Amino acid sequence: MIISLEWLKDFIDVDLPPSALIDKLDMIGLMVEEWKEKGSDIILDIETYANRPDTLGHLGVAREIAAALGLKLKQQEWPLAEIEEKTSELCDVQIWDPDLCPRYCGIVVKGVKVGPSPEWLRKKIEIMGLKSINNVVDVTNYVLFATSQPIHAFDLAKLAGRKIIIRRAKQGEAIKTLEEEDVSLSPDMLVIADEEKPVAIAGVIGGLESSVQEETQDIFIESAYFNPISVRKTSKKIGISTDASYRFERNADISFPPRAALMAASLMTQFGGKVSRGITDVYPKPAKERTVVLRNQRVFDLLGVEIDAKFSEKTLSNLGFQVESQRKDVWKVQVPHHRVDVEREADLIEEIARFYGYDKIPVHFPPLRVPEPPLDQRREKIDRSRQILFNHGFDEALNFSFSSPEKEAQFETGRSAIEIRNPISSNASLLRTTLMGGLLDNIAWNMNRGADGVHFFEVGNIYFKNKMKSQEQLTLSLVTTGLVGPPHWHRKSEKTDFFRLKGTLESLMEYLNYEPYSFKEEPHTLFEKESALALVVKKDTIGYFGLLKKSLLDAYSLDEPVWAAELNLDALFGKPSQAFQYSPVTKFPTVTRDVSFIADGNVSFQDIQEVVGKLSLPYLGSFDLYDRFSGPSIPKGKVSLSLRFVFSHPKRTLKTEEIDKIQKKIISALGASFNFQLREGGRIDK
Amino acid sequence: MKDFKARVEDFKKKFDKALAGAKDGKSLQELRNTYLSRKKGVVKSLLEELKAFKPEEKSKAGKMLNTLKNHVQKKLETAQKKFTAPETIEKKIDLTLPGEKKYWGAPHPVVLFQQKIENIFISMGFSIEEGPEIETDYYNFEALNFPPHHPARDDWDTLYLSDDLLLRTHTSPVQIRAMENRKPPIRIIVPGRVYRRETPDPTHLPMFYQVEGLVVDKGITFAHLKGTLEYFLKTLFYEKLKIRFRPSFFPFTEPSAEVDIECLVCRGEDDKCRVCKGTGWKEILGSGMVDPQVLKNVNIDPEKYSGFAFGMGIERTAMFAFQIPDMRYFFENDLRFIRQFTLK
Ligand SMILES: [Zn+2]
Repeated sequence: MIISLEWLKDFIDVDLPPSALIDKLDMIGLMVEEWKEKGSDIILDIETYANRPDTLGHLGVAREIAAALGLKLKQQEWPLAEIEEKTSELCDVQIWDPDLCPRYCGIVVKGVKVGPSPEWLRKKIEIMGLKSINNVVDVTNYVLFATSQPIHAFDLAKLAGRKIIIRRAKQGEAIKTLEEEDVSLSPDMLVIADEEKPVAIAGVIGGLESSVQEETQDIFIESAYFNPISVRKTSKKIGISTDASYRFERNADISFPPRAALMAASLMTQFGGKVSRGITDVYPKPAKERTVVLRNQRVFDLLGVEIDAKFSEKTLSNLGFQVESQRKDVWKVQVPHHRVDVEREADLIEEIARFYGYDKIPVHFPPLRVPEPPLDQRREKIDRSRQILFNHGFDEALNFSFSSPEKEAQFETGRSAIEIRNPISSNASLLRTTLMGGLLDNIAWNMNRGADGVHFFEVGNIYFKNKMKSQEQLTLSLVTTGLVGPPHWHRKSEKTDFFRLKGTLESLMEYLNYEPYSFKEEPHTLFEKESALALVVKKDTIGYFGLLKKSLLDAYSLDEPVWAAELNLDALFGKPSQAFQYSPVTKFPTVTRDVSFIADGNVSFQDIQEVVGKLSLPYLGSFDLYDRFSGPSIPKGKVSLSLRFVFSHPKRTLKTEEIDKIQKKIISALGASFNFQLREGGRIDK
Repeated sequence: MKDFKARVEDFKKKFDKALAGAKDGKSLQELRNTYLSRKKGVVKSLLEELKAFKPEEKSKAGKMLNTLKNHVQKKLETAQKKFTAPETIEKKIDLTLPGEKKYWGAPHPVVLFQQKIENIFISMGFSIEEGPEIETDYYNFEALNFPPHHPARDDWDTLYLSDDLLLRTHTSPVQIRAMENRKPPIRIIVPGRVYRRETPDPTHLPMFYQVEGLVVDKGITFAHLKGTLEYFLKTLFYEKLKIRFRPSFFPFTEPSAEVDIECLVCRGEDDKCRVCKGTGWKEILGSGMVDPQVLKNVNIDPEKYSGFAFGMGIERTAMFAFQIPDMRYFFENDLRFIRQFTLK
């Protein structure tokens, strides 16, 4: 809300230096966001709140300053040059829907000379950022910005039958607004109508036909109170928001319309007008006075500071509340109509706190009576996962949750995407069903800016419809492409590949204690044929990884192959991880045996693992593949595999013969199962 | 057989002698040919002789040969190193060469900052709660004392999924869920993604991260709110940070307070400061005493219990702390941006 210091002086004699006044305003909750000097005036831009429509005018702001500084508001006089004719004789006002229009005031000004505004009025209108239109329209705006009460001026001659009927619009009715926009109306909207047709959309905007023009002579001034919800719904529906609707939908001061009408009428007499006798005030069910009980004890309970009861009483009275002592330290407080925000004791306590000063409330620490539950396991696992991934050289990304129909079509996740009804753009009209879209964007972004390699992970939700319900699923995705780490003199630059990703996932499962897990070759829409594995934990597929489909890379203009993984963390973390158990470390030396074979090129490591596993070898600590190659020294179609077995015994040193025996068993088992040939010289004892 | 053994040993001695006399790579190559050539090398010809042996002798002799072969290979290799490019063997290693660093992945700055915030609250005895991003109108608005059709909702411009479902505009619904599920005392913070119907620009995004907090117990006062938030902000920024609480409005708190901290850029010394618009202050937190209606909505008696709540945007706070001019940077995931924060 724009506030002019000079204009404020119409209501209050304030002579604080501007900076002191601004501080004061900030500290009572009228935050000055910006201010500037304009000639001799100072213009403030004050942040106002949805519950304080009274501060949407200079009068309201003056009230606050008066209360803060202990000043009195100036009494304003609105002299009228009256004529004999009664308002009711000049125009008949009928409220047909008192729920949507509880109060309607009107007064007629005859013989106004419509023309340019006088200097003082034009200046004020321009301060508010509006263009001066003519003296009558400017007066209506002036009253609005002065008092926050919207008023409207009709050309009386254009009101058919000299009637004002406040009613719901009829189906099929329409109106051309002041802004020359054609609006079709419906029965949920309240209109101001004459005998024939709507002449204004109540509380929102006037009609063009009945508006004040240069030839207008007699004016009907409307000053009313409209139901805030009705105004808001209408304003939203027709997509028109005005200074008036902004105030009405926040709930106006129902006691104020007569005063605003008189103020406007008085100002129009300056342009040669004469005012009809007796204001029309249709107010079938006057609003009840609101009272709230305030207990001094509660002030202390809520604020944590002892505030003198006299201070509380005085603050509320200064703000226009009527404070009546009920018994010791309990008051009955009557709320002025302009304070639509005050309904409960807590609201009054806020008023006291505002003027007492938040800065004077002491600083205490809340006692911890009962400890909070320990950190959730899931969060711990997420953080552990992140550390493992950092360690493997993956950077963390966060992407928007949005997706688009095009993206969803590319990824074919098979999940039904959730639509946003009012998206900011068609590129963000869905919620993502995979994290891959964002991560591929991130690869493209960084590669286009000179990165040699990009390795990202993201932990976040994907969203989809599941049996008509919307579901959020915590997901971990990884992407890896290009060089691993920057080039360095000390080692060769290395490109990422499938096994780097696989190893990262293996580490993840191991460090999170999700063993045993297994991999299963399975086709998946994200990946190239025969290039994807499923990660299986306790018979459930947790996710997939592999070489991303060429068509996806093309869609993101990526040249380098990208390996990617997507895991369902909800499913994974839903499974109990293996409980940790300490196992004693043997004092006796371990024995390592390396065995090299020539094998058929198509034998799978998983099969070897199975055969070795079935042997249930005693004392076997670990078993790994440490070398694998093919080439000129190996027969065509064959590979050389080197396996390392590590043995240990908890209570004694293992004998060579014992291990020899076990080793023979391994060799014969693998030989029998896969037709493995022991490699010449490939047997070294350590 | 005995003879065979002697000959093998003899060859070994001869080899050692010849090797000692070798002066360059060329003589090494000759030696290699003499002993290891697959066609006419010493080892090969000895191997031929094995064919005539009895099986038990064969294995012994084989071992002997193997030993010789290994010996020759090993020695040649060692010698080779001496002769090939002797100029590359430096007297002293260039210790100024760069070391080999490990490439560690970097956390996203938003997560980093979120954890920084979380840790301060954890040290004050708070626990962490989370909740769904897809919410109902009831949890996002009504239970938080936003009446239907109230303009207060305009400040929380909403992305709707259906008449009743929306993307939460703040993490406050989790406060409601926590109070429904637990009896006070409650002392939680709630981090998470929130959504607003905003077109991206340097200071607005349609999605961002928020941390909210809630304390409910007997005897909780505004003074406790001040104490908690002052401690938090001074820990997050620095001990001498200037802080002010000023009245504000949120439907779910009463009284409500906005928390400003001094402008870290100009410290209130520059009338033309762009960051604080010359006011010297920067809004950092919204807060207030939990509105009695909100407590009633979750069946907590506001006559017995009171509480305070607060909330802050993570990106906005990080932007202010690090002087980042554009909020969109956080979601571009430019490695040159993200990786800067590793050490922060
Ligand atoms: Zn500044």
